[in-house]
Amino acid sequence: LCFFSSCSSWLPQRVALRGSSHWQNSLLELRTSLPVRAQPKKKKKVDVKKEQAQKDRMKKKIKKLEKAAPELIPIEDFVTPLKYSESSRVRSLPALSPEESERRVLLLKKWCLFKQKQDEAEKKAIKALVESQQEALKELRLESEELYQAAIRRDEGLFPFERDGPSYTPPLPGYDPPEGKCIDITKVYTQ
Amino acid sequence: STAARRPWRLFGAMCLLRLPRITQPLEKEEEEMAAFMEQIELEKSHYSDHEIRKLEEEEQLKRRKESLYDEDETSGKTVIMAQDLEEKWEQKFLRFKAAPRITDADKSNNRTSLNRKLDSNLMLLVKQKIGNQELWLLPQVEWQPGETLRNTAERAMATFLGDHIQAKILGNAPYGIYKYKFPRAIRTEDNVGAKVFFFKALLQCNDLSQAKLQADYLWVTKKELGDYLKSEYMKKVNRFLLD
Repeated sequence: LCFFSSCSSWLPQRVALRGSSHWQNSLLELRTSLPVRAQPKKKKKVDVKKEQAQKDRMKKKIKKLEKAAPELIPIEDFVTPLKYSESSRVRSLPALSPEESERRVLLLKKWCLFKQKQDEAEKKAIKALVESQQEALKELRLESEELYQAAIRRDEGLFPFERDGPSYTPPLPGYDPPEGKCIDITKVYTQ
Repeated sequence: STAARRPWRLFGAMCLLRLPRITQPLEKEEEEMAAFMEQIELEKSHYSDHEIRKLEEEEQLKRRKESLYDEDETSGKTVIMAQDLEEKWEQKFLRFKAAPRITDADKSNNRTSLNRKLDSNLMLLVKQKIGNQELWLLPQVEWQPGETLRNTAERAMATFLGDHIQAKILGNAPYGIYKYKFPRAIRTEDNVGAKVFFFKALLQCNDLSQAKLQADYLWVTKKELGDYLKSEYMKKVNRFLLD
């Protein structure tokens, strides 16, 4: 209010030109047309500078973060939650008798032999398979080159080959499985 | 050069396999080992949440019995014990009846059905006329010029089982060969004998009720092949069949 009275004394002809408008309106018009030397403009300059400085600081921080190497995503399976290493969880079982440990060692040796025999049998079967195929291809080549070339061509439709493995019991005809909803709660990390 | 070599007639045969649908029974060593592994796992493990809950509840029960029912009045709400949960699960499991591993076809030894011997591979055998003999063979058809041997084998499968059989043929190359010379009566300069090339395919669809089978057919395991095939033929076929 006092500002307005000082201004009006300074430039009386401008006020007179505005005429009989309400004094509030003329106050606003005077503000825009007066020469720039008053307080508010200085604040704006400082504001603009401050804002620019802030923006530069933010940009520098962003650049630093981008340059730093991305954090490794922790593998949940390899990290044992601490609650499972408490001592209250340790199982208390009776100690092994010498007969029991003897039996275990002998069982392991029997298993070793069994697996060896199984592996040898598998390898022999595969060898017989390959030999049989080679013989068939040899005979085919003797017959006709064209058929041989067609036979050794790669079968594009064979892979990817998918098959469900066998289950313990065959599928029950007319079985109605219970309904349920599966909610996935795996944690997703972004780098 | 083909004129100089004695010409053979070419046949393409298809060995159609139905893969096992249930697991094979474990051998004695495998069973012992499985039990042993379970014991080791139990010994090396820690208590789970459910087991800790069960132990705590057992302790509480013991304390309640000893302290003359003082705590019973304070705890008004009925708590489900871990033991009750286990019994409930056990009951639910016993109520479920799984399909039997040994099917009716097994018991009646119906060799034409696909539901037999669910734990081993089954092969298709058809009765075909070769010369003037009716023999049990893997389905075969003579090769015609202009097609590859794989197409011949596919045609063989289609003639005996109909067109819409979902089978995955394992590759373009033959798996085995059976060579035989014709008996002297039929043998000529141009027609000495035949070469039968075997291809392998895996049956994808489960039932063949829609297939129109033209001839007598059987689905047999590797061990039962000896009942039907001739010895020389069977020797060659056994080489490319995995048990």
